[in-house]
Amino acid sequence: MKKKLLAMLMACSLAITACGQGGGTKDNTETIDIAYQYGLAYAPLIIAKEQGLIEKAYKEKTGKEIKVNWHQMNSGSDINVGITSGSLDVGFMGIAPAITGVTKKVGYKIFTNLSGQEHCLTTNDESIKSFDDLIDSKHQIAVVNVGSIQHIILAKALHDNGYDAHSLDSNLVVMKHPDGMASLESGSIACHVTSSPYIYMERENENLTELMEVNEAWTKDNSFIVGVASEKLYNNSKDAYDALSTGISDAIDYLNNNTEDAAKITHEYNGNSQEDELKYLQLGKYTTKTSGVYDLATFMKENDFIEELPESYNDFVFDNVEGD
Amino acid sequence: MKKSNDFVYSIIVRVVFIIVALVIWEVAARQNLFGENSEVIFPTLGSIGKAFISNFTEGYAGISFWVYISNSLRLLVTGLAIGVFASFILSGLSMISRGFYHIFNLVVSIFDLLPGVALLPVIIIMFGIKEEVIILLVVHAVIWPMSRNVLDGFMAVPKIYVEAGTNIGLKGLSLLTGVYLPAAMSYIISGLKVGWARAWRGLLSAEMIFGIATCPGIGMYINQMRTNMNNAEMYATLIVIIIIGLVVQYGILTPIENCTVKKWGMSK
Repeated sequence: MKKKLLAMLMACSLAITACGQGGGTKDNTETIDIAYQYGLAYAPLIIAKEQGLIEKAYKEKTGKEIKVNWHQMNSGSDINVGITSGSLDVGFMGIAPAITGVTKKVGYKIFTNLSGQEHCLTTNDESIKSFDDLIDSKHQIAVVNVGSIQHIILAKALHDNGYDAHSLDSNLVVMKHPDGMASLESGSIACHVTSSPYIYMERENENLTELMEVNEAWTKDNSFIVGVASEKLYNNSKDAYDALSTGISDAIDYLNNNTEDAAKITHEYNGNSQEDELKYLQLGKYTTKTSGVYDLATFMKENDFIEELPESYNDFVFDNVEGD
Repeated sequence: MKKSNDFVYSIIVRVVFIIVALVIWEVAARQNLFGENSEVIFPTLGSIGKAFISNFTEGYAGISFWVYISNSLRLLVTGLAIGVFASFILSGLSMISRGFYHIFNLVVSIFDLLPGVALLPVIIIMFGIKEEVIILLVVHAVIWPMSRNVLDGFMAVPKIYVEAGTNIGLKGLSLLTGVYLPAAMSYIISGLKVGWARAWRGLLSAEMIFGIATCPGIGMYINQMRTNMNNAEMYATLIVIIIIGLVVQYGILTPIENCTVKKWGMSK
């Protein structure tokens, strides 16, 4: 009986070890696994995917085929785990989880900026006109998570206006963007810190107003969504890395130069009409150049959102990336 | 003598199982199963042990870990108590009124299928964001499986017991407490076990989906640890969840079972 039990446990052990070593065997075709998330800020990726821009760039460079697997995921922290475990090579996420990932030594760096969008704090209470009306009040403010980019932008707005960055932490409630918008409109909460496309939907509601300090703390000119690539991809598959950078850059150029055509491609993915999608795409900023990454990381360190701050901007990005 | 041998054997088997599982974990962690950065997502037992201690000594964002635990347990106990009490009342009413039985049976069948998390957006819009919403979700997790078990238990009471009860003059509430409850006790205990597990999981899921900063719970703590890539702390929190689960199972539910159905010879 005891021998049987030990044999069973040994079998489990071997099975677990075997599981961990899977995923490394690939045939001669280069494969790249990319994770992205939902929303307008990721629009260039839909173009890259639909037009096969990474595959084209790879073929032009090497004359060979590359297989690109696209995975839609729910959060930056899930993507961080995917890249660390080796099941993903590339991920697109908010700048805050990317900074956290680099400082936690997940084994990746930023290889491109993707987009910048407006962020806002919307309220359904007309009496809320400044942070003074919120601090020490019982008004609830929805953010997507504690430590998310929306929370950090709110903290930065407070800091920029002379308040303690954490002075509204006790007012936070955590919920997904759609739940936050529904709760704001129904009056269950007083404020919602959000980004596109919810920011545009909330602006169409005449009963809601904005606190402009949050918009000013992190504008659309600053990095919002960035692409990160594993150091393994950068070091071992340079051709695939270059094709990836070129493909994303081409997708951003296409979106900026042919926005109407881009809206035709992306509107169904984002659940908008073609007219709305065009309007929203024109309101965002899509560029490969990062902006404000090291400043934001410094702010996060100074206000205890991260434990360590790397020495320079270059610790966050690969050498092909421009910006600050 | 045989009974004490069985007890020793059960303890040895469990201890061996736990030790082997921990050894497998440690070997896998040390082998860097997930590449050179494996430690970040698959920490060693040493790192998890340190994180376990630091959870209690340091907490997170200036809030002690005990605050997270006590908030979760307070909401859980409140929801569990309301859920169990309500399921007894409603199941009892079902035994008294035939019409109510049919309606309640339908309601249990419908709501038992709905995950509380799926109802969350509707509940938030109706009731706002407050801790009562989490209590409501715990009640939802408990009341339907508990009621199903209690109802099944009541229906399984042999007719002869009920007739004996009525012959000695029991009716209504006295029949319920004198005959139905003791006779259906094994079903009720089983309902308590299922209800407790569903409530605990329901609570953690609700806290992970929406958290209230003024009432942070263990689910929210796990989410914060995941967001900040503090995976050792996250695993350490899972151990806390398991410990609480085991304490309730062996410290509360098993003694109740021993003092009732096992003592009465209704269960092995």
